[in-house]
Amino acid sequence: MKDGMLSILPLAIGAALYGFAFGILAAQTGFPWWAVTLMSSLVHAGSSQIVAVERFASDELLIGAALAGVALNLRYLGIAASLGPLLKDRPLFHKLIAVHLTGDENWALTFAKRAKDPSIGVPFLLGSGLVMISTWTLSTTAGAVFGTTVPDLARFGLGFAFTAAFIAMARALWRGHMDTLSWGSTFIVTLLLVKLTGNSAFSILAGSVFGISVSLFLQKRTSVS
Amino acid sequence: MTSAEWLLIILLAASTFSVRVIGLFAGQKITEYPHLKKALDALPGCLLVALIATSLSAASSFIWFASAIAVIVAILSNHVILTMILGFTSLFMLQTYF
Repeated sequence: MKDGMLSILPLAIGAALYGFAFGILAAQTGFPWWAVTLMSSLVHAGSSQIVAVERFASDELLIGAALAGVALNLRYLGIAASLGPLLKDRPLFHKLIAVHLTGDENWALTFAKRAKDPSIGVPFLLGSGLVMISTWTLSTTAGAVFGTTVPDLARFGLGFAFTAAFIAMARALWRGHMDTLSWGSTFIVTLLLVKLTGNSAFSILAGSVFGISVSLFLQKRTSVS
Repeated sequence: MTSAEWLLIILLAASTFSVRVIGLFAGQKITEYPHLKKALDALPGCLLVALIATSLSAASSFIWFASAIAVIVAILSNHVILTMILGFTSLFMLQTYF
């Protein structure tokens, strides 16, 4: 467990910066600092928190904001599935704690280490996960406390801070030229739909579905040829 | 804090935890369907791009320009904080000097 706690530290520092920035944004959109603490410890999925807070601030559509956030978290279906063999002999309570403590960083690190050393397992996952959730909760809280003391960032383009964060998050997900095409079409279709309908929630949904269809079509074509 | 903010936190926490638990117990079955798996893999990127497009739909030309800078920084660095800082700096400079 200690090994996991130490090995994750460099990644935790990166997450702390990101968490601090998110805390500022959340505080500026009206969340009290303790609400940020609560959200970070209960959700423990950074990108979905950013997306949900941004949607909530700009649309005030509760369900839309939660849906956008959880849609981003659907990747945890695959991540949690991969933990199945690792956790199979553990009691249910341990399993539930372990999936909650598993985020992108400590999951990737545990499996990368395990590929080299099969003795690495649940304690490593839990140790690194504990460090990640603590870092995330503390840094977002610190950001939120700081965020209430700084002037109104909306004047300086708070909305753009979210856009820039989304751009960086998307970049980290880019898998190759197939994505460039499907993302390009998502961008154009969503932009046109927002302009035409004025309904951003609908446009985001329809634009994403269109992009996913393009991606499936491209993958099908490359696998046939 | 408003009740809507409370609800948002509870909804997001409950749904995210459900996804994790469903993944643990049924994830293997879900990922057996290749099309579903491909769609799930493509979803986060497309969703983020749709969010970017929406936030830019009514934005000024300065913000479009700063976003282009952020895209270039993101492609080159693949670093979240650097992208936000350089994007923000370019927006600030545009607003100050033009």
